[in-house]
Amino acid sequence: MNKRVEKTTEWLDERLGIAKGGRSSLNKIFPDHWSFMLGEIALYSFIVLLFTGVFLTLFYVPSTQQIIYHGSYAPLRGQSMSEAYASTLHISFSVRAGLVMRQMHHWAANIFIAAIVVHLCRVFFTGSFRKPREINWIIGSILLILAIVNGFIGYSLPDDLISGTGIRIAFSIVESVPLVGSYLAFFLFGGNYPGNAIIPRFYTIHVLLVPALIVGLLAAHLGIMYHQKHTQYPAPKRTNKNVVGTVFWPTYALEAGGFFFITAAVIAALGGLVQINPIWLYGPYVPYKVSYAVQPDWYMGWLDGALRLMPSWEVVGFGHMIPNVFFPAVLLPGLTFTALSLWPFIEKKITKDDEVHNLCDRPRDNPWRTSLGVGILTFYIVLFFASSTDVLANTFNTSLNLVLWTFRVLLIALPPVAGYVTYMLTKETEVVEEAGSRRPPVVITRSLDGEYHSVPVAGDEAGGVVKEEFEPMEVPEEKEYESFMGGVASEHRDKDLVGVGESSSKGGGSAFHDEIGPSRSGGSGIFRVPRNLPGSGGLFGGRGSRRQRRRGGQDRQ
Amino acid sequence: MKVSLRSLNSSKARALGISALLSTAVGFAGMLAFGGSSAAAQQATQQTSVKEAKSVTFTQANAPAIVYKNPPSSLIPEGRTLFIENCSTCHGIDAGGSSRAPNLQGLGAATIDFWVYTGRMPLEDPTVQAVQKPRKFTRQQTLAIAAYVSSLAPGGPGIPSVNVTGANISQGQSLFSTNCAACHTITGVGDALANNVYAPSLYGVGATQIAEAVRTGPGNMPRFGNGTLSNAQVADIVKYVLYLQRPQDPGGLALGHVGPVTEGFVGILIGLGGLMLFGYWVGGRAQR
Amino acid sequence: MSDVQQARKDPNLDYSSMTGSRSMERFIGALFVISFLATIGLGVTFWLGGQPQVEGALLFVALVGIGVGIVAWGKYLTPHGPYVQERHDLRSSDLDREAFYKSLERGNKVLGRRSFLGKMLGVSLGAFAILQLFPFLRSLGPVPGKSLYLTDWKHGSQLTKVDGSPVLVSDLEVGGAMTVFPEGFIGNAVDQVILVRPGNYDIVTRPGRETWGPQGYLAFSKVCTHAGCPVGLYQELTQQLLCPCHQSLFDVLTGATPVFGPAPRPLPQLPIYVDAEGVIRSQSGFNEPIGPGFWERGNE
Repeated sequence: MNKRVEKTTEWLDERLGIAKGGRSSLNKIFPDHWSFMLGEIALYSFIVLLFTGVFLTLFYVPSTQQIIYHGSYAPLRGQSMSEAYASTLHISFSVRAGLVMRQMHHWAANIFIAAIVVHLCRVFFTGSFRKPREINWIIGSILLILAIVNGFIGYSLPDDLISGTGIRIAFSIVESVPLVGSYLAFFLFGGNYPGNAIIPRFYTIHVLLVPALIVGLLAAHLGIMYHQKHTQYPAPKRTNKNVVGTVFWPTYALEAGGFFFITAAVIAALGGLVQINPIWLYGPYVPYKVSYAVQPDWYMGWLDGALRLMPSWEVVGFGHMIPNVFFPAVLLPGLTFTALSLWPFIEKKITKDDEVHNLCDRPRDNPWRTSLGVGILTFYIVLFFASSTDVLANTFNTSLNLVLWTFRVLLIALPPVAGYVTYMLTKETEVVEEAGSRRPPVVITRSLDGEYHSVPVAGDEAGGVVKEEFEPMEVPEEKEYESFMGGVASEHRDKDLVGVGESSSKGGGSAFHDEIGPSRSGGSGIFRVPRNLPGSGGLFGGRGSRRQRRRGGQDRQ
Repeated sequence: MKVSLRSLNSSKARALGISALLSTAVGFAGMLAFGGSSAAAQQATQQTSVKEAKSVTFTQANAPAIVYKNPPSSLIPEGRTLFIENCSTCHGIDAGGSSRAPNLQGLGAATIDFWVYTGRMPLEDPTVQAVQKPRKFTRQQTLAIAAYVSSLAPGGPGIPSVNVTGANISQGQSLFSTNCAACHTITGVGDALANNVYAPSLYGVGATQIAEAVRTGPGNMPRFGNGTLSNAQVADIVKYVLYLQRPQDPGGLALGHVGPVTEGFVGILIGLGGLMLFGYWVGGRAQR
Repeated sequence: MSDVQQARKDPNLDYSSMTGSRSMERFIGALFVISFLATIGLGVTFWLGGQPQVEGALLFVALVGIGVGIVAWGKYLTPHGPYVQERHDLRSSDLDREAFYKSLERGNKVLGRRSFLGKMLGVSLGAFAILQLFPFLRSLGPVPGKSLYLTDWKHGSQLTKVDGSPVLVSDLEVGGAMTVFPEGFIGNAVDQVILVRPGNYDIVTRPGRETWGPQGYLAFSKVCTHAGCPVGLYQELTQQLLCPCHQSLFDVLTGATPVFGPAPRPLPQLPIYVDAEGVIRSQSGFNEPIGPGFWERGNE
């Protein structure tokens, strides 16, 4: 070991005891799969948001104080506008790298929430929210809500014409809450609309309150994931009781760290090359001015769509009123997020399943959940597209009225259809023996008569899937550690490392690259896994490690 | 070559790592050092396309903002012929209208010029909103038709010549957002209104036609008379609309100036989609 | 044994025969160099005053060089296993649980003896918490009171244009529209009114409103009854007002009644008259609250 590293470790270890926990962290196993990168995209775009956001706070002025603009953008010079808007113009035109930072911040927000939503879908459709991960599911749901709220608030901060109209709608939505709505709205806005308080308050919420909550919950989200270990997709030797993948140090750390830079790079490319929210074209917010084609950012689209599709109903009686906007803009998101965050418990009520699940469901293995999810998702996708009724009508040269009615019908009709089609598809693939699995490798030979024969590789008589099992390697560090310690530390062996029997310590001094398991690829496709996954977990449990030990010994002889 | 943790620590790898670190550090240092200072002034130019500049007849700053002129009466005979050949089927020979088409008498030369010169007239199908299409007549022919129709009955504004030299683009922005953006959108791309009616895009429309539309209120557009907008104010609006046709897009690709709809699609499909492609490479498929 | 030998042939696993590693090293090194150059370029760009597209492109190259380089390093030059680790049970052992219950029980017993104190503590803590809300909430904003029912329009308010000049009866052409305010309240969000002049159409007035629209002028609150957006789109030919936010459509000729979209109520109409000098003025304020609904509103 490097002398300096050793010294630093010693210094820290004697004060914090880092070596013990650090060792298991470095040896942590992370299952690989592209769909597991979605959460990472969300995390990394959040980090980009923090960096660019801090930059923006240095120049943004959260004030509705009206000033006369004398900046460098001529088409607005001499106009009266809020300091918030003027400072955003300043960032866009006069601060070096300001526009890139602003646009990166905005793109990062769009990607952040998109990644969260797709990540959520991944977790839902693979059943990764089941015991023991219900808490993390709830935290994730709250993170989604916070991200959407902060996205909307951040979008409102420039105080331009389009976002200002959005704030006006927000006031109406808060106002629509039964019983306390008008009080809530007045407290939030510091009086009747528009007031002067909302921009500074939104600023505090946007840069302090919500980010702090997100950071805290994110830490908990990751901490729990780390503690419970990541789920993995079913495959031979991947059981409910183990975790198979790459080791944190160095492989996973490099891949994850590199992926952060890639995320930042894509956001930077968008931020520099694709214009987003050109507020200088929108002009300052003035309450009586308005632009057509006003849409919120995409993640608010489903709410905007719901507002548009809602029939003109209002509940009036007993001297009180439940306004129209309450149903699509308060009740709908309220029900949505309640049902979303409680989903693991709802599903448990139905399935009565109290087992621990560390293996992901493949979506088609759980037809009813998958089809239900697709149906519900379709509902929100229809709402999302409904938020651009005017743009769609304009683009496709149809009547706005027709487009709106089409969406009203689709909102009711499409989810059941989508759900049903999904159900049939999952049922179909269930019958097909090797649906979705890769074809087993074959050797194709041509006889003298010109006849072709395909013979499966690796002596697979069963025909279908190659039965060859892969033997995951044990975490190598353990051996290095043992050999480094000369085998003395065997009693301190970490419990979560398997298969480090006596034979491996006998092999003293071997670097881990000598410990190579048998073929893991060899064309092995996605194996059919019995429906009751927990049971299948027990089937392989521990067997691999015993063999591994034996073979490891043989190898060296 | 055997690769192990130790070989990763080789001097070569270390040099690579240092260069990577260094470049990151330089990048952030650069941002911190120069990010704060101002003065990267983006020149806010009022771009006026060459084509539009031609239609501006007056160039002195102190000239009146808009001059309304009827086309010369010498064009009336030519106009009469063209009108009878192309328009009288619906509007009648005396332009008095029919069950299919409105009375054109007394509407003024500006109205006729707008409808004909933007290609909206002659109409192919009278039941749908007239849309801008390739114009059928030359400038001379258009003026001739306008001369003929306006000679039939007095009234209505003449054809405006807009002088945008002295116009105030900032005033124009303010007036545009008050009076025009509600339908044409704040970026002037237009949008669908209710009942199969569209607010057309303002791209590619000349100064004269913009002023004509403001003053005569074609189709569903409200009419803005002198009491609502002065000539100087109309010239301001014209100047801003001409700017909007080629606005400053310092942020890069403008995505059609449609706003969050296209931005959302780019963010999801290209942003997240691109990252997922990278993620596919990093994370790989199942069955490692 | 044969399995192991087969594994040796697998290029992904057999690091001893990783002949491509040298070219991979070169590739990664080149990426880092490109990134470094892009960073230098970025510095130069900043120095020269900056240009968003150049900055974005160079940032991309600088970051993606590092990112792809690091990932490739991890992916191709480090061992990939797969490795296996056992999951330990998340649940504690029965012994631990027993101990936990015992400890909890012990504390509970001690505290439970003075349950009265506990209740008192709960009451005082709760009261404290609730009381803290009041000054907080009260300072955040005033209570709504009657303010949602009020605008600044009153009898004789002069209709004023955005530029501050009065609206004369001759100002609006037939088929024209204009945003107006009461004198002295220009730009006030709740006071905005859209004045339209439909011209020769049959205007259906509701009973009691016959005098509200003199000389073909009609004035409506510009605040949408749905979500409060300014109803700025006047479709002159069809005599309709369209809200740009959620496409509620109001029919001008029948007193701005909603005919399409989510808006549940007509736009409140402002009664106006023309005074002796030809200035348009309001007869009174609105006879109903403007804008979107709220709980206290009920049926008036």
